[in-house]
Amino acid sequence: MKNKTLKALPLMLPLLLLTVAAQAQEAADGGATPYFYDNFLFWSLAALAGTVIVAAIVALFHLLNVMVKVNQIRIYQEMGLEAYEKEVQKAKEPFWDRMYKRWTDAVPVEKEQDVMLDHDYDGIKELDNSLPPWWVAMFYITIGFAVVYMTYYHFTDAGAGSAEEYEMEMERAEKAVQAYLATQANLVDETNVTALTDAAGLETGQNIFNANCAACHGMLGEGGVGPNMTDNYWIHGGDIKDIFKTVKYGVPEKGMIAWKSQLSAADMHKVSSYILTLVGTNPPNAKEPQGDLYEPQADAVEQPAADSTSTAAEPEDALGMNK
Amino acid sequence: MAQVEQFQYDNAIVRKFAYATMVFGAVGILVGLLAALQLVFPALNFATAETTFGRIRPLHTNAAIFAFVGNGIFMGVYYSLQRLLKTNMYSKFLNEFHFWGWQAIILAAAITLPLGLTSSHEYAELEWPIDLAIAAVWVAFGVNMFGTILKRRENHLYVAIWFYIATWVTVTVLHIGNNLEIPVSMWKSYPVFAGVQDALIQWWYGHNAVAFFLTTPYLGLMYYFLPKAANRPVYSYQLSIIHFWALIFIYIWAGPHHLLYTSLPDWAQSLGTVFSIMLIAPSWGGMLNGLLTLRGAWDRVRQDPILKFMVVAVTAYGMATFEGPMLSIKSVNAISHFTDWTVGHVHIGTLGWNGFLTFGVLYWLIPRIFQTQLYSQKLANAHFWIGTLGIMFYSIPLYWAGWTQSLMWKQFTPDGFLQYGNFLETVTQIIPMYALRAVGGTLYVGGYFVMLYNLVKTIKSGTFQAYEAAEAPARVATAGAHKGEHWHRWIERRPVQLLIGSTIAILIGGMVEIFPMVMIGDQVPKIESVKPYTALELQGRDLYIREGCISCHTQMVRPFRSETERYGEYSKSGEFIYDRPFLWGSKRTGPDLHRLGNKYPDSWHYNHMLDPTSMSPGSIMPVYPWLIEDDLDNSLLPAKIAVLRTLGTPYEEGYEEEAIADAEKQAAEVAARLRKDGIEGDNLEQKEIIALIAYLQRLGTDIKPAPQAGN
Repeated sequence: MKNKTLKALPLMLPLLLLTVAAQAQEAADGGATPYFYDNFLFWSLAALAGTVIVAAIVALFHLLNVMVKVNQIRIYQEMGLEAYEKEVQKAKEPFWDRMYKRWTDAVPVEKEQDVMLDHDYDGIKELDNSLPPWWVAMFYITIGFAVVYMTYYHFTDAGAGSAEEYEMEMERAEKAVQAYLATQANLVDETNVTALTDAAGLETGQNIFNANCAACHGMLGEGGVGPNMTDNYWIHGGDIKDIFKTVKYGVPEKGMIAWKSQLSAADMHKVSSYILTLVGTNPPNAKEPQGDLYEPQADAVEQPAADSTSTAAEPEDALGMNK
Repeated sequence: MAQVEQFQYDNAIVRKFAYATMVFGAVGILVGLLAALQLVFPALNFATAETTFGRIRPLHTNAAIFAFVGNGIFMGVYYSLQRLLKTNMYSKFLNEFHFWGWQAIILAAAITLPLGLTSSHEYAELEWPIDLAIAAVWVAFGVNMFGTILKRRENHLYVAIWFYIATWVTVTVLHIGNNLEIPVSMWKSYPVFAGVQDALIQWWYGHNAVAFFLTTPYLGLMYYFLPKAANRPVYSYQLSIIHFWALIFIYIWAGPHHLLYTSLPDWAQSLGTVFSIMLIAPSWGGMLNGLLTLRGAWDRVRQDPILKFMVVAVTAYGMATFEGPMLSIKSVNAISHFTDWTVGHVHIGTLGWNGFLTFGVLYWLIPRIFQTQLYSQKLANAHFWIGTLGIMFYSIPLYWAGWTQSLMWKQFTPDGFLQYGNFLETVTQIIPMYALRAVGGTLYVGGYFVMLYNLVKTIKSGTFQAYEAAEAPARVATAGAHKGEHWHRWIERRPVQLLIGSTIAILIGGMVEIFPMVMIGDQVPKIESVKPYTALELQGRDLYIREGCISCHTQMVRPFRSETERYGEYSKSGEFIYDRPFLWGSKRTGPDLHRLGNKYPDSWHYNHMLDPTSMSPGSIMPVYPWLIEDDLDNSLLPAKIAVLRTLGTPYEEGYEEEAIADAEKQAAEVAARLRKDGIEGDNLEQKEIIALIAYLQRLGTDIKPAPQAGN
C-alpha cells in the first residue's frame, strides 16, 4: 500500500502543476473567469491529491519510527543491554535538542578541559572546538551560490546583463503605459488642445506653474531667467497650441526644459491654459518683451473649434519659424 | 629550560595613543554631528567655504576612521603586541616617530580638508604630500611591529597578531595602489588612472579600507581584549584559522559591489556580488568566536559594562557583515545604493563595532595602566545605554529615509510619468528622518562625554605605570614544534612566511579584477564624440572637486527606467575616459548631475549657487557666495594640461601655452550670456563661478542626447 502512494505522488504533482499553468494561460488570454476555479472536478482532484500527500507523509513518519525501533533492537542483539539503554535515552532527547547539538557540535563548558589546547598567550587559552557544522554548511552554500551565479550570468548567456535588463524594463513599462492609455479617452496633445476655462483646472495649472515654472518665469509670470509671460510678445508663439508645444518639448538650446517626461498631458494642458490667463496682468518688475507680437483675437476667430487633422502638419517646423 | 629574562612593557606609548583616541573620537563624532545638523538646518554651513558640508563630510570620515579608529588600533596593538610576544617594543624612537607622525598627519588633514585640498577619492582624500607622510609613518609602524615580532620570547604568534600582520600589509598595498597620482603643484595632483579604471581602483581601496582598517585590526583587538575581559578561553582555534585566511582572501574581491549598475563591466560587478555573499561565513566566524568565547560568562555580561560594550560591538559586527552581502545583491542594491540606507549600514559598523569595541578596550585598559579601578561602573553603564539608544536613533531613521526616498525615486504614475518628478520632493520628505538621526547622533556624543568624564576621573585617581615589569623565558627557536601538533602551528612560528602568505592571499583578488580593467583596452568601449575638457571646464571641474560636490551629487545615471526618465540616457563607461579623478559619487542627497549639461540656462546656475532656494524653494543645498566673489586662479592651468597630457589626455602639443587665453575666451562667452540674462557684476568673467558653470554645462553632453539603445 505504501508503495502505491509513493508511486502515485510523482503522477499527482505534475498534474497539479499543469492545472496551475493552464489557469495562468487562461488568465493571460482573456481575463475571463478561469475554467477550473468553479469546477467540481478540479476541486475534487485537488482534495484527493492533498489527502494522498498527507497520508504519504504520515506513512513515511511511521516507517521512520519503525526503522528506529528496529535499529534499537539490532543494537540490543549485537551490543548488549547497556548500549541499548544508552540508545533509547538518546532517542528520548527532544528533536530540537538533538538538532542543536548536531549543528553546533560544541563541547559543553563543563567538559571544555577535554579540548583545551596547550596554547597560552599572556594568559589567553584556546579551545579546540570543531568548526560549527551549520557555519560550514553556510559557507559551502554561499560558495555554491557563487558558482551558480557566475555560471548563470557569465559562463552561459542565460542571465540578462545590465543593459539587456534595462531594455526589458523599458519594454515592459511601454506596454503597461500603452495598455493604461488605451483605457483613457481623449488624450490632449498639441494638435487638439484648447484653452481650459474652468476654475478648478486653472487652479491646478497655477499650482503646477508655481512649483515648476516660477523659478525661471517669476511667481506672477513677470519673467526672470525665462521670458515674461504676461505681455503679448511670444518667442515661440502665443496660441494655446504653441504654448502647449513649448511646454511639452521645451527649447533645450535656450534652457527651456522639455516637460513631457515630467508632466502628464493633462497637467501640461492645465498649466498652458493658466499661462494664457496671465497675459495682460501687468505684474511689477516685468521683464521687457521678447519675441513677436501676437494677436490672440485674430487667432481665436480663425480656429473656432479645434479639430485635429487640419493642424497636424504645422507643428513640425513651428519651433524654428517662431525663433 | 631557557633562562628567565626580566624586561618591561612600555605603557607610555600606549597611554599616548589612548589619549589621542579619546580626543579624536570626540572630534570625529562632533564634526559628524555638525554634518548631520547641516542637512536639517542649511544655515549651519555658515555661508563659509571651510565649514560647508562638502568639506565637513570628508573631515568627519577621515577623523572618525583615521584619527579615532586609527589611534584606537595603535593603542590596542601597542598594548597587546608586547604582552602576546613577551617583549617590549622594538624601538622607542619608532614608537615616538609613529605617534607624532600620525598626529601630524591628522593635523595636516584637519587643515587641508576644510581648505578644499582633496583628491576626492573617498577615505583617501588627502593630497600627495600627506600620502607620502602616511606611507612613511605606516612603514615605521610596520618596522616597529616586525622588529618586535622578531625579538619575541613567545614561539608562536597568536591569532590577534595574524590579523595585525594582514592589516599592515594590505593597507600598505591599498594606500599605494589608490594614490598613484602625478603632482601638478604642492597641493594638487591627478590620478594615473581615469574614469572606470579609477573607479574600480578607488572602490577596491574604499571597500578594503573598511575591511583592513575598520575590521581586521579590530578583530585582532577583539581576540586579545575580549578573552582578557571575560577571562575565558577562545572558543575555537580551528575557527580562528579558517575564518582568518578565508576573510583576508575573500574580502579583497568584494570592492566592485560599490559599483553595481554603474558603467563598470558586468563581469566585475558580478565578482563583487558573489564574493560579498561568500564573505558572510568568514565574517561570522569572527563574531562566533567572539560570542562563543563568552560561554560560561554570560552572567557577568549582565553586570560588567566592559563585556556589554564588547557583546554589542561583536553583534553589530555580525549584523553589518550580514547586511553588507545582502546589499551586494544587485536587486537589493538597486534600492539601497545612493540612499541613506548605506549611511545607516556603515554607521552600524562604525558606531557599533568600532565605537563600542574601542569604548570597551578603553574602560578595560585605562584602569590597568593607571593601576586603579574604573571611577564609576554606574556611569559606564549609563554610557552603554545612552550609546546603544544613540545607535538605534541614528540608524533606524536612516533606514526609513533610505527606503522612503528610493521608493519615491522609482514611483511611476500609470500614464508613465515619475510620480515625484521634482527630486526636491523626495528630499523634503525625509528631512524629519534627518532630524531624528541628529538626535541619535547627539545621544551618542552625550554618552561619549560621559565616558570621557569617567576616564579622566579614573586617570586622576590612579598613578601611571609607564614601565611595567615582566619576565619570561628566552625563546628557543627550535623548541616549538612537536609531534601531532596542528599543521597551522608551523606558520605561526614563522612571521616572515605568515607575512608572505597573507600578502599572496590579498593580492590575488585585486589582480584578477584590476589587471584586465587596466590592461585590456576593449573593457572601456571608445566613443568618438567624447572629447577632453576645455581649459575652463577643467578649472570648473577642479572647483567641483574642491567644494566636495561629490559628497551629495552622483554623476552616474544607472540603467533603470526611473533614472533615464529623470536624468536622461544612462552613463556609458566611454564617457569617463578623461575623468581624472572619476566623480561618480556614492550618495544622492541631491540629484544626479551626469546629464546636467544644457538642462538649465547659465543664469540659473549662477542664481542657484548664490542661493539654491531661489531656484529650488526648500532646497537644503548650502550657499556658495565665495564662488561669485573670488577670482579664478589660472596660474596652474599650463601645468595641469601638461600633466594630463602625460597621462594620456590628447591635448594638442602646445595647448598649455594657449590654455589660459582659451579659458579666458570661454569665460568671456559665459559672462556675456549671464549679462544678457541681467546678471551684473564687476569682472564677472574672472570669477570662479564662471568656470564651474562651464563645467556643469558640459556634463554628459558628449554623447547625443537622443536615446541610444543598448551599447
